[in-house]
Amino acid sequence: MADIQKYFTKFHEAIKLKRFEENSTLVEKRDIILNKLAAGLKKNFEDKDESVPKYNWFNQGSYEMGTGIKPINSDYDIDVGISFKIAKDDYSDPVDVKKWVYEALVGHTKRVEVRRPCVTVFYQKEGETEYHVDLAVYSDEECNSDGKKYLAKGKLNSSSNNKVWDHSEPCKLTNLINDHYSGDDHKQFVRVVRYLKRWKDNNFKIDGNAAPIGIGLTITSYDYYTPKKDLVDVFANKYNYNDLSALKNVVIRMISCFATYYDNGTSSERLKTYLPVEPRCDVFEKMTDNQMADFKKQLNALLDALNIAEDEVDPVAACESLQKIFGDDFPVPEKSDTAQKKGPAIITSSASA
Amino acid sequence: MSVTDNLPTNQIVYLRPKGGRVLIPEVILASIAPYVQNSWNKPEAGGVIMGRYIKDCEDIVVDKITLPMLGDKSGRFSFFRNKKSHQKVIDHEWEASNYTCTYLGGWHTHPEPVPTPSFVDKNDWKRNMKQDFFDSNCLFFMIVGTAEIRLWEGNKHKNSLTALNRI
Repeated sequence: MADIQKYFTKFHEAIKLKRFEENSTLVEKRDIILNKLAAGLKKNFEDKDESVPKYNWFNQGSYEMGTGIKPINSDYDIDVGISFKIAKDDYSDPVDVKKWVYEALVGHTKRVEVRRPCVTVFYQKEGETEYHVDLAVYSDEECNSDGKKYLAKGKLNSSSNNKVWDHSEPCKLTNLINDHYSGDDHKQFVRVVRYLKRWKDNNFKIDGNAAPIGIGLTITSYDYYTPKKDLVDVFANKYNYNDLSALKNVVIRMISCFATYYDNGTSSERLKTYLPVEPRCDVFEKMTDNQMADFKKQLNALLDALNIAEDEVDPVAACESLQKIFGDDFPVPEKSDTAQKKGPAIITSSASA
Repeated sequence: MSVTDNLPTNQIVYLRPKGGRVLIPEVILASIAPYVQNSWNKPEAGGVIMGRYIKDCEDIVVDKITLPMLGDKSGRFSFFRNKKSHQKVIDHEWEASNYTCTYLGGWHTHPEPVPTPSFVDKNDWKRNMKQDFFDSNCLFFMIVGTAEIRLWEGNKHKNSLTALNRI
């Protein structure tokens, strides 16, 4: 079989977003906001003659998991957790705590919003949002009698039953993902997640819940991924990783886990995938039945493209099939790059009958 | 419906005896199609096959073929391929492809549904393997029948000929 792996490797290099340490613009934005938050909280509370709430912060989300990709039709985002050293029982309205963050940051850019799961600071350039920083606000586990961390959920004008403290384990999730496999197997796992995320960006509309969310694709990969590699040198214990096979395995298992669920006389076919940590919700629960049907259809199209690429003799045609599904960042080599160089040939005349 | 309607139009893949595959893409089959001897007045036709030895595996992709050219002679049951004009194409394709599109062997037509090589064919192929100059161990020979296209792989060192099976 032709060596398609090197084209997957190039694709991965093209789409991957490096972690904080390597990405100065995002680190810069994050640090500016953290400084602004510290100063804003201090000022706002001192003005009220109240003690300034203590907190710690941590990176969370795809950056911390190392699964981020370059966006193609949306803006870059950074996720930061702000864990206040407060007991949730002392603050019956979690949005009050989110307001501390909002009020410390409002005016920092043209657009700062309290969204249901977080407070978001948008950075714009020439009218287009270029970056946004999501700050998830927590009540720290050290301060709650049950030893649990709670996420503040709700918008400024939400009704009281939409304002809740949700048990949440963001650091535990990051650790589970990062420690699931180690070494080169972990690197292949991360590549598979990134391939799925770019496939999602390239094949689904961005509005609403039309597309499966990135963390959902990460969790399904966490559930279904197994390393795929071929032993090429027994003595040196050298393996060649086969990303096509690893991705195909995850996709087949995703498709096969769609099931029909019955509820009040109606039925719907869904892929349910639960967070392996609190709040243990179905990560795809917001998708409608029609969006789910499209999700499955697109997964089948992805599987078809992977099968064609796997069976194809010509690496050029294999990569063309993959480029159709993954977009232009998937490289298609020149014919001459795929073949061995040969010396000249001199033919004789020929007679056939 | 004529028998040629059975001829494959999608790509054909053959399995090589020691692993690896040979791909004849759709575009090559389409360029051969007009020469299929599916009526009494169509003469035998032929040319050379060129293509790529894919890196890191035993797979081969046919990328170019030559069609009958000036200097060739064809009858209902025979075809003579003149070396000069076909050699020019081989040289051109080889240079234009950064020396990767190489001479792979030859093809010709037969006015029978499932083609088998004649005595003349086999002798010619053996002679090709000995007298042609090429940078590999093997040559491929394709006969286009009216219902099937068959491919043989000849090994220069073993002086052997193997009919390849389709996948």
